[in-house]
Amino acid sequence: MPTVSVKWQKQVFTGVEIDTEQVPYVFKCQLYDLTGVPPERQKITVKGGLLKDDGDWENLGVKEGQRLMLMGTADEIPKAPEKGPVFIEDLPEDEQGTAALGHTAGLVNLGNTCYMNSTVQCLHSVPELRLALKEYSAAVGTGIDPLLHSLTAATRDLFGELDKSLRPVAPIHFLTVLQKKYPQFAQQTNHGLYMQQDAEECWTQLLYVLSQRLQSVPQDEEEVTNPVVEHLFGIELKSFIKCAESAEESSESETVYTLKCHISSEVNHLHEGLKQGLKSELEKTSPILGHSTLHVKESHINKLPPYLTVQFVCFFWKRESNQKAKILRKVGYPLVLDVFDFCTEELRAKLKGPRKVYQETEDAKVGLKKKEKEGAEGVKALQNLGTSTSDENVEMVDDAGQHPSSSEKVCAPEPEVTGIYDLVAVLTHKGRSADSGHYVAWVKQDSGKWIEFDDEQPILQKEEDITRLSGGGDWHMAYICLYKARVALPH
Amino acid sequence: MAPENSKDSHAMDQDVQPPPSKLLPKEAKKKKEEKKDEDLSEEDLALKQQLELYVERVQDGDPAIQKMALEAMRQEIRTATSSMTSVPKPLKFLRPHYGTLKSYYEKMVDSELKRYLADVISVLALTMSEDGDRESLRFRLQGSIGDIGSWGHEYVRNLAGEIGNEFQQRQTDEQPVDDLMDLVKQIVPFHVKHNAEPEAVDLLMEVENLELLTQHIDKGNYKRTCSYLTSFASYVPEPDDTLVLDIAYQLYCKFEKYPDALRVALRMDNTQYVKSTFAACKDLLEKQQLCYILARQGVLLELDEELADNDEQRELLQELISNSKLSEGYLTLARDLDVMEPKTPDDIYKAHLVDGRASAGASVDSARQNLAATFVNAFVNAGFGQDKLMTAPSMDSSTGSSSGSWLFKNKEHGKASAAASLGLIVLWDVDGGLALVDKYLYSNDNHVVAGALLAVGIMNCGVHNDCDPAYALLFESVNKEDPTIRIGAIMGLGLAYAGSQKEEVLDLLTPIVQDSKVGIEVAGFAAMALGLVYVGSCNEDVAQSIVLALMNRSEAELGEPLARFLCLGLSLLYLGKQDAVDATMEVAKTFHEKISKYCQVTLDSCAYAGTGNVLKVQALLSLCADHLEKGDSHQAPAVLGIALVAMAEELGLDMAIRSLEHLLQYGEQNIRRAVPLALGILSVSNPKISVMDTLSRLSHDTDSEVAMAATVSLGLIGAGTNNARIAGMLRNLSSYYYKDPSLLFCVRIAQGLVHMGKGLMTLNPYHSDRFLLSNVALAGLMSFLHGSLDMKSIILGKYHYVLYFLVLAMQPRMLITLDENLKPLSVPVRVGQAVDVVGQAGRPKTITGFQTHTTPVLLATGDRAELATEKYIPLSSVLEGFVILKLNPDYQQDHLSS
Repeated sequence: MPTVSVKWQKQVFTGVEIDTEQVPYVFKCQLYDLTGVPPERQKITVKGGLLKDDGDWENLGVKEGQRLMLMGTADEIPKAPEKGPVFIEDLPEDEQGTAALGHTAGLVNLGNTCYMNSTVQCLHSVPELRLALKEYSAAVGTGIDPLLHSLTAATRDLFGELDKSLRPVAPIHFLTVLQKKYPQFAQQTNHGLYMQQDAEECWTQLLYVLSQRLQSVPQDEEEVTNPVVEHLFGIELKSFIKCAESAEESSESETVYTLKCHISSEVNHLHEGLKQGLKSELEKTSPILGHSTLHVKESHINKLPPYLTVQFVCFFWKRESNQKAKILRKVGYPLVLDVFDFCTEELRAKLKGPRKVYQETEDAKVGLKKKEKEGAEGVKALQNLGTSTSDENVEMVDDAGQHPSSSEKVCAPEPEVTGIYDLVAVLTHKGRSADSGHYVAWVKQDSGKWIEFDDEQPILQKEEDITRLSGGGDWHMAYICLYKARVALPH
Repeated sequence: MAPENSKDSHAMDQDVQPPPSKLLPKEAKKKKEEKKDEDLSEEDLALKQQLELYVERVQDGDPAIQKMALEAMRQEIRTATSSMTSVPKPLKFLRPHYGTLKSYYEKMVDSELKRYLADVISVLALTMSEDGDRESLRFRLQGSIGDIGSWGHEYVRNLAGEIGNEFQQRQTDEQPVDDLMDLVKQIVPFHVKHNAEPEAVDLLMEVENLELLTQHIDKGNYKRTCSYLTSFASYVPEPDDTLVLDIAYQLYCKFEKYPDALRVALRMDNTQYVKSTFAACKDLLEKQQLCYILARQGVLLELDEELADNDEQRELLQELISNSKLSEGYLTLARDLDVMEPKTPDDIYKAHLVDGRASAGASVDSARQNLAATFVNAFVNAGFGQDKLMTAPSMDSSTGSSSGSWLFKNKEHGKASAAASLGLIVLWDVDGGLALVDKYLYSNDNHVVAGALLAVGIMNCGVHNDCDPAYALLFESVNKEDPTIRIGAIMGLGLAYAGSQKEEVLDLLTPIVQDSKVGIEVAGFAAMALGLVYVGSCNEDVAQSIVLALMNRSEAELGEPLARFLCLGLSLLYLGKQDAVDATMEVAKTFHEKISKYCQVTLDSCAYAGTGNVLKVQALLSLCADHLEKGDSHQAPAVLGIALVAMAEELGLDMAIRSLEHLLQYGEQNIRRAVPLALGILSVSNPKISVMDTLSRLSHDTDSEVAMAATVSLGLIGAGTNNARIAGMLRNLSSYYYKDPSLLFCVRIAQGLVHMGKGLMTLNPYHSDRFLLSNVALAGLMSFLHGSLDMKSIILGKYHYVLYFLVLAMQPRMLITLDENLKPLSVPVRVGQAVDVVGQAGRPKTITGFQTHTTPVLLATGDRAELATEKYIPLSSVLEGFVILKLNPDYQQDHLSS
């Protein structure tokens, strides 16, 4: 009976006796006691390969003191998980895109339709609008103008396609309907190409159509007429009109969809432009004086929407060249806009509460960071505080908007606007006149990344590049900015 | 007598009555000379007049006066001190009389005096004789036999040059050279004695009699001589290079520098010499050092009674040769540098430094990206035995082991690579690694089993275990049904036994290569495995079976992407063996035209790989100049061939890089695709800025295959260096190509390579101060490169595990110093850029820009280390890998420091 040493992993068992009378299986059972490796998993190297369970010791020539190597473990054999992972490569092609890219597809240019493409991309970035369109159906009735319905339906279909497709979408149907409704978009050049159009016009018309057709899902029976578009974009302005000569005053209020940013030689920043835009002079017949005289109109915002649209009035009609010429002046705009200064006194008073709450939560976040260093004990409590405040108090409108009917939201306090807005989309123009050049949409994604939608091509951009679109050269220049409100939930 | 007289009178005439036409210029010249004379100092003027007097006296009738004049002249010439830049004064003043003396010499009767004069004229000829006349030598041979060294170095050097030319002339004219050899025998000792060993070697090479050298070399100058011999051997054509190395070997042996002798023996690939070095070395410690050198080169020397004193010693030495300490040493290095913490692929990608794109979305797993992550994880954590994807212990028992979960995040054949990646993680640690891989061998998924088999091969790569677990585990699976399992086992065998010439593998795999019923992919991998196991052996059995396979396969099969591995397997047999390939080359011409040229080019380039043979480079370049009909594919391997042949030494390497630049400009697309890979291997693990820039440019090429090859090559040149610049380039590429999954995969692989072994590894097949070439490592690189020639169907297709061939070239780039008990010993060392000191006199500095570290340290390509303490003496002159230190008996502790 030779004694051998057996090496297993990094251990060596010396003095293991082999009973050459028995089959090697017995030897393996011996090793099982030593190592815990089941005999069927044991692999022992001997001359010419592995030791067989029923091998013959005679032929193997095991010598006294020989070192054998035992391989094997008692580890569990890995099993494939029952549900394997889904790989992107296995997905149908049209789903691969959004999953891989994290943003929506581009739109094919159908011949100078970049004004339309960029408008659609910007509006598509508003989740509430997407949702409202998704729920839109013909059931509401076609109404007076059937084209209003078909254009809304076309918008809905186009948005749906954008959500799904990886490949650039060709908005042929949408364009046809748009042109049917607004024949000016179907103007053609001498060569039979569509002419370039003003994106702002397209934006306004499209919003008008949608505002006509989209009704908010009734939250309660009384509010059934509350139109979605007006709720989302409508800015209520209160204007005081003052006559310079007679000092008579009148006031009026109106709802607009965009704030205008006037560009003059004094304007260097959006803030100044807006201030000018809200002030205007108009000639009108004064009932007291009996002749037309100069009136000064000063407007203030009376109600803030969740989405604030700002238009840079950079085009003006140039009579000499008979076209809409462009002011290339550089007008800076911020990523975070505070419109508090443009509000009426009443609104300011209303905003104060939410702003304070908002400020507190912001402070809490900053404070949390500061205190985190202090000690382990405080951190936990603060973290709880931090997460709870950020979860409950600061909530983006889209969350609220997406579940307007959920009962829990009804009970929860309405989120209130704070007058502070984040930039979410920019529509830019490159070129020298509104009817030429190129329109592009720059849209912020949910992930916080910016995508430049240059027709069919989505290009990733950095946030700091977005503020560089402020004009002053032949580079892309912001034409319409879409801001989204930061909201605060009152305690 | 009559003709002599007339000649004489003619000469007299000239002297007495110069032709009138020359009168004017001569007068002018005279004036000038006078003016010059005026400039001379009094001393010089006196010397000049003295010498003129001697010249006159030499022509005197009285032999006694003649003799005295000659003696005096000799004296003047010999004693003149000279600087490097000016002609010695006596020579300068004698120059105008060179013609006079020569013509007088002709007239003299043969006598001792005549020989004396010949000596003087020979010296004067140094400055006077026309190019190619070799007058100095002619008069030397007619002169007296005496100490030629007394005439000065410059004279001897000039003479040596003329001897070289004369020797060649006589060789072509088939004339005897005995008189020249007598001179040589005088000159060589003179050179050797005066620190001019290179000149002695050069002269002996010119007269084809290098053996003469050995008797003149002594303890003081053998080092310089040998370093000159070994470094210029790369420029000597075959078979003279072997002769040169042979002399170096003998010299090293003579002075008992066995480690150096062993290196030369390994360079010559001469097993007999290896053995005799081992036998000659008596010191056990030194023998252990020899074992470490053998292990680094991957030579498995079986020690018998002659080579080791007793069994115990033999076991110890054999263990060192088997390289089983490699893992231990590598981990020592890692612990010392504090890089044991496993790294995840995300740590490598550094997505936060990329401007967003790379990580956009990614809500769904991508099989390709996961596969890339598998490879990155494997390369980065190679050899550390732990990682965060495959070996991480399960966090909670409910989900099972987490290693399984990552494994199954790979798709189909991806699982094979994932399982195999485990082998790379536990690289060189056979005992610990087998335990980790074991469970996968029992999986019911064929891909996983194949991967596990491959893993067994990978972890055994470069180390040998006396129990031979790799063979025991793999050999049965080689003939399984499933082709994936077969490939896994076959490739595993190839990796585990690369360079070992293990006969069992031959018997096992030859039937598979020849069997025309198995798929071409299995046969291809079998041929590759055989090529690796028998690399550079010229084994005829293997060659024959692969040749048969290449002949019997159908045209369609030979068109498959993996058919190239049959050619490559065949070629590897002749790696570096030069004309031994000729017979097989002839056979290759008879192959089917689809593969014949590919095979020929591959054979040729392999056979001359690492030889620096300029003619081969030219031949391959001219192949690339052809404009081909569609369908031929031999130009790409030709481009690789240029790199392989030229990588031998620095000059050729730089030249090849320039030539490749031309190919880029003028070559066709199939050539351009191979150029980045060629650049990659030319400066593998050696991130030269120029190459880096070229590759960076190509990585944005409009041709996606060029871009892919360039990207992967960026990984190759930065392999294991953690080079920040390349890492930055690759990060930018990852955002540039974020939409292109194939290119992104290449970028990831390159990132993995750059951070290979967390920066502790190299892929460079050259080691030991760039003196030795590891055949196995080169074979591994070649396999990878040939696989990369068809990136789309091999690396991006089903056969991505071809990437694991790189493991053959993976080596830690470290210096670990060991004490006499082979335990790591920390000593200060200076590490700096190596300086070429070959042929320089004195004791020049061998490194520049050095920093002092304590061992263990990392060495980059082109770095050299030297001990910064006198306390120890290294047993190996090249400080790389494992080096044993011996206490210096003469060392005296510095009193101040204590």
